[in-house]
Amino acid sequence: MKSFARAALAAALLVAASPFAGPAAAQGTVKFGALYPFSGGLALLGDESFRGFELAVEERNAAGGIDGKKIEFIKGDAVDPNQAVGEARRLTSVDKVSAIFGTYSSSLSLAATQVTELAGVPYFELGAVSDPITERGFKYVFRTNATARDFANRMVDSVIEAVAPALGVKPTDLKVGIIHEDSLYGQTVSGYQKTRAKEKGLNVVEILPYSAKSVDLTPVILRLKSAGVDVVLQTSYQNDTVLFFRQMKDQGYKPKAVMGAGGGYSTRDTMQAVGAENMEGALDVDFTQFNTNPKAAPGLTDFVAKYKAKYGIEPRSGHSLANYMGAKVFFDAIADAKSTDADKVRAAVLKVDIPVGQTATGWGAKFSEQGQNTRAQPFLMQWQGGNLVTVFPEAAAVAKLKTGVGAN
Amino acid sequence: MDVLIQLVLNGILLGSMYAIISVGLTLIFGIVRVVNFAHGEFLMVGMYAAYLLAAKFGLHPYASAVPVVLLLFALGALVQRFIIQPLLSADEHIQIFATVGLSTALVNLALLLFGADLYSVPPSAAQGSVMVGGFSLVKGQIVMFVCALALVAGLHLFMQSTALGRAIRATAQNRNAALLMGVKVDQIYVIAFGMGAACVGLASALVMPLYPVTPTIGTYFVLTAFVVVVLGGMRSMYGAFFGAMIIGLVDSLSGYYIAPDLKEVVYFAIFLLILIFKPTGLFGLGRGTE
Repeated sequence: MKSFARAALAAALLVAASPFAGPAAAQGTVKFGALYPFSGGLALLGDESFRGFELAVEERNAAGGIDGKKIEFIKGDAVDPNQAVGEARRLTSVDKVSAIFGTYSSSLSLAATQVTELAGVPYFELGAVSDPITERGFKYVFRTNATARDFANRMVDSVIEAVAPALGVKPTDLKVGIIHEDSLYGQTVSGYQKTRAKEKGLNVVEILPYSAKSVDLTPVILRLKSAGVDVVLQTSYQNDTVLFFRQMKDQGYKPKAVMGAGGGYSTRDTMQAVGAENMEGALDVDFTQFNTNPKAAPGLTDFVAKYKAKYGIEPRSGHSLANYMGAKVFFDAIADAKSTDADKVRAAVLKVDIPVGQTATGWGAKFSEQGQNTRAQPFLMQWQGGNLVTVFPEAAAVAKLKTGVGAN
Repeated sequence: MDVLIQLVLNGILLGSMYAIISVGLTLIFGIVRVVNFAHGEFLMVGMYAAYLLAAKFGLHPYASAVPVVLLLFALGALVQRFIIQPLLSADEHIQIFATVGLSTALVNLALLLFGADLYSVPPSAAQGSVMVGGFSLVKGQIVMFVCALALVAGLHLFMQSTALGRAIRATAQNRNAALLMGVKVDQIYVIAFGMGAACVGLASALVMPLYPVTPTIGTYFVLTAFVVVVLGGMRSMYGAFFGAMIIGLVDSLSGYYIAPDLKEVVYFAIFLLILIFKPTGLFGLGRGTE
């Protein structure tokens, strides 16, 4: 199948390059790589992320492409870090792409960027959250989306700025419990949470790591219950989120607020498995989702319409939107550079200056020397009536924050 | 004190879930002498089957126990007949590779068919809990406890008082002698493997209301099941039952009193200690029987 696709692509290129192909060919194309996990366990959200990129390309091509050149992209399938390296090599050396866009998963991004940096090819990260991706002093790695530290900070700040006022108490009177699955993801986010909570003087009474493969979280819940924790901050995948909510109900534990760091908290599957009434009121910090005030995220409604027209369903998660926004920002930057030369692209990216609230995700764009977007902030959302709605910050909110969790 | 009692109750109920899975693994190991690394994936297959029966035909997972048990029996029997049996005279390592390969194949098949999403059956009464003397017990777990007891009792009766049960025990004790006595050993193996898998089928129907299913769900349970089987003395069904209870209690208590992320450390430490000091397991029959 893949070899067939490649043969077809080669044939198409031949036709396009031949003198009979008409005037479009004369203007040339600009070639990018699209590196995502298209198969394997990460494929669902990898594909969802890719769709955002694909829509951004189509939109740009319809508007004339970059500098009058049509964008053409070549897919790379990164199932695991090894394959990410292999595909990044292929894209940069065989297909000779001008830049690579990706990647959804942090481990894949960390691996692939090692290759592109050495090859001097710009790498545009649109979705992976691990901080070190843009902390290694690489020159040609740029990222539009918020990082794990942004997530953790938003969670801790939300307790102070949104949850405590809604409960009508002083933030320092709240007992906070941090629980997280104990792989790299949970360790990283909770580590930043601890630091931020200390800076802000919050009263953290329990920090409990657990294995995401645990089949019983009642010990965790009983610990939280015995310690009288009011606000639980959880960093988790899907299965452990479902288990936590079910067992929290079984054990009759009723915290005042439960807040997740995206991951398992954002998906409709989790809500359905837990039950809408039990998930009611659960808070979630994540990339911009679709129930966000369009005034704070111009282009959001338009994106959803285009998505539905192309794929026939509602977007499956916010990943597509984040990738769409990021791809658009970088396309503009490449157009401004008037070249695909890596150094000129870098100079153009560093000149990007979009204020907060003027992109489809509601983020702004201003890149640090390290290539990290400093104006990307995840929003605080809440499950209300089976829908994930943005509740904080005020400008992006479509509903008021409610207190309490679940039906019990 | 209240917390302690609650933890003990939770531990016993959790143990009964491990018991049903481990009894199946023990049957396969004890009789066919094959370490079935695909055991967790059998659980996954059973859970998807229970999910599909619930989604397409609206069957409650408990009602789907009957077809799922039969399906898993057939799956186990087929695996024994067409994968293990040709390898019976081969080296043990080859059999292990075969079951590991089967496990990888099943996980990827599930990924292909269902994707990485999680599926769960509609909420039912099994998810609720009842208060007994101030302690909360999950109904679905109480059902599991009763089923675990019934399973062990039923298997005990079957093994002790039926001709087939006696043949199975004879085969387990000495394959060659059983063969000489006219027992059709290959058939017994097929049945025993099927029974082991059928236990997992029962477990999957009981687990389904409480846990959502994903392609890798098997790995959540099966490592613990291996510890339980070794703890229980490899071939003893009763050993597996009590081993499961011990692991359930250790899981529950160490998760609370030590740390939730260290509970695996605690029971693997117990596992190592047992292997060092009593390699035949807590309920093993002594050297030479393994």
